[in-house]
Amino acid sequence: MNATLDTRRPIKWGRIASYALLLLFAVIYAGPLLMLVNTAFKTLPEFMKSATSPVTSLNFENFIEAWNKANFPRYLTNSLIYTITATLVFVVTAIFVAFPISRGYVKGANFILTMFVIALFLPPALIPQFQLMLALGLYNNPLGYILLFTINPIGMVILVNYIKTIPKELDEAAALDGCGYFRFVTSILFPLIRPAVATVAVLHAIGIWNELILPTIYLTNKDYYPITRGMIVFQGVYGSNWPTLAAAVLIMTIPMLVIFLLLQRYIISGLTQGAVKG
Amino acid sequence: MIGYHFGRGRARLTPYLLLIPGIFLYILIALGPSLATTVFSFTDATGIRGAPMHWIGFDNYREFLFLGQASRDNYAALWRTLVFCFFVTTIQFGLGLLVAMLVNQRLKGTNFFRTLYFMPVILGAVIQGLIWSLFLYPLGGPMARLLEFFGARSEFFGGQPTEAFAWVIVVQIWANLGTTMIIFLAGLQTIPEELYEAAQIDGASSWQVFKNVTWPLLTPSVNTNLLLNIIGSLQAWQLFLVLIGYRNGTQVLGYLVYAQGFGQTSGSVTSAFRQGYAAAASIVLFLLVLVLGTVTQTILNRREKRIMG
Repeated sequence: MNATLDTRRPIKWGRIASYALLLLFAVIYAGPLLMLVNTAFKTLPEFMKSATSPVTSLNFENFIEAWNKANFPRYLTNSLIYTITATLVFVVTAIFVAFPISRGYVKGANFILTMFVIALFLPPALIPQFQLMLALGLYNNPLGYILLFTINPIGMVILVNYIKTIPKELDEAAALDGCGYFRFVTSILFPLIRPAVATVAVLHAIGIWNELILPTIYLTNKDYYPITRGMIVFQGVYGSNWPTLAAAVLIMTIPMLVIFLLLQRYIISGLTQGAVKG
Repeated sequence: MIGYHFGRGRARLTPYLLLIPGIFLYILIALGPSLATTVFSFTDATGIRGAPMHWIGFDNYREFLFLGQASRDNYAALWRTLVFCFFVTTIQFGLGLLVAMLVNQRLKGTNFFRTLYFMPVILGAVIQGLIWSLFLYPLGGPMARLLEFFGARSEFFGGQPTEAFAWVIVVQIWANLGTTMIIFLAGLQTIPEELYEAAQIDGASSWQVFKNVTWPLLTPSVNTNLLLNIIGSLQAWQLFLVLIGYRNGTQVLGYLVYAQGFGQTSGSVTSAFRQGYAAAASIVLFLLVLVLGTVTQTILNRREKRIMG
């Protein structure tokens, strides 16, 4: 309907203006990334001569140097371990909290839910958290670091709300067939709430992967550094060698871009839901 | 208790037992420490394990707010936090709405643009910061050359404190515009198409359509975005860490809390692990967020009632 109306107009100024603006923003968003790619393939003398000149030949040495010198394999492994372990612990424990409180299967369900919601309106936990970790002897300890990421109040609220959309009759029917509580949650409920679990898990995992402050505070041993902290250290050493630094940043960026393109749907739905509830 | 079907007696305890780990972790890591921040703000706690800790009443607050040059620096950081919040909120809100309306049109390629604008959100502060450090390379980098073309120049993050600070605002907005856009987009998509068609038939101009249809019906996303932007920008400081480090004349409150509490190793400024003092500073920041958040919420609620009722 609209399309036919539109094609009758001779010049579509609105449309041209829209595209002009879209392209302008595209340049602002793609520009810094293109500069990164361009620099990563240059040699240092080329970069010193002209920072913006387009690359003429693909030079992969920066990547090899960055990969070897930046201790990437170690940092990436650490990041993977932290992200996967903490996300798993969070998701598993959270489901067993979210299900009974969204069903009212435990006393004080509303109180528990409120307890999670108020976390968003309380003072930051940073200092006492550190004192706690010190007291527990978990400072500079990967286990302690993982422990910090095993909770996510917004994720909890998203799970509770999603479980409310699963009909209660299902619980009754399964129970009549002799299905126990644990088995119901793991093998009947879990497949049904998978979209919400995916959303929450992806958001949570990205948060851990990108975290910079907590590793700076809690991990002093270089062998424990995640990729974010390792990258900052690498910047400190290679700050003036932009081609190598750019190659390192690119190595770190590409997996995130791939994950983003694959899981975009979950990320976006999580953000909008979280925002609406928060 | 509403119909629980998975058994009685001991079996009735199963949900409670399985619930304990999640609640325990939450109280241990988040709720407990969060509530304890106030308590620590009245002590001289340090970051050294086993060091004695004393109750010192309001001394930390007194020092933070009234004592010598340090307190003047604190007020400067507080003011800077507000300035940062103001510019980030207004620009990100405005541009976010503009971009959301642009990609919400029936145009070819809007999915591509949407994805592109949203992308930085998931890259995190380290990548965002490093990408921009390169883009703002002062010796002939792309932005330097663009400015040169217009006869301007900037030292970017190495320049005057105000100048470096302004560039952090730019990067902060670039990095988070996608979130604002997505929330506006979700709101725009709930507005029924018929309203636009009716307005078109009535011969309304684009501005009239925006003013009388889009803007009022977008109220829920407007509220969410304003609150998220205000609260988020008051607490944001990671990009400062990546882009300029702890440098006089650029610190915001969040960074100050971190530097006081955990020592500051980058650059020449070094401070001890003054965790009690940092806790007091974080309570001041928290109160700022609470007051501004509540005031905004109240204003938005009134506005919503006026529009909807």
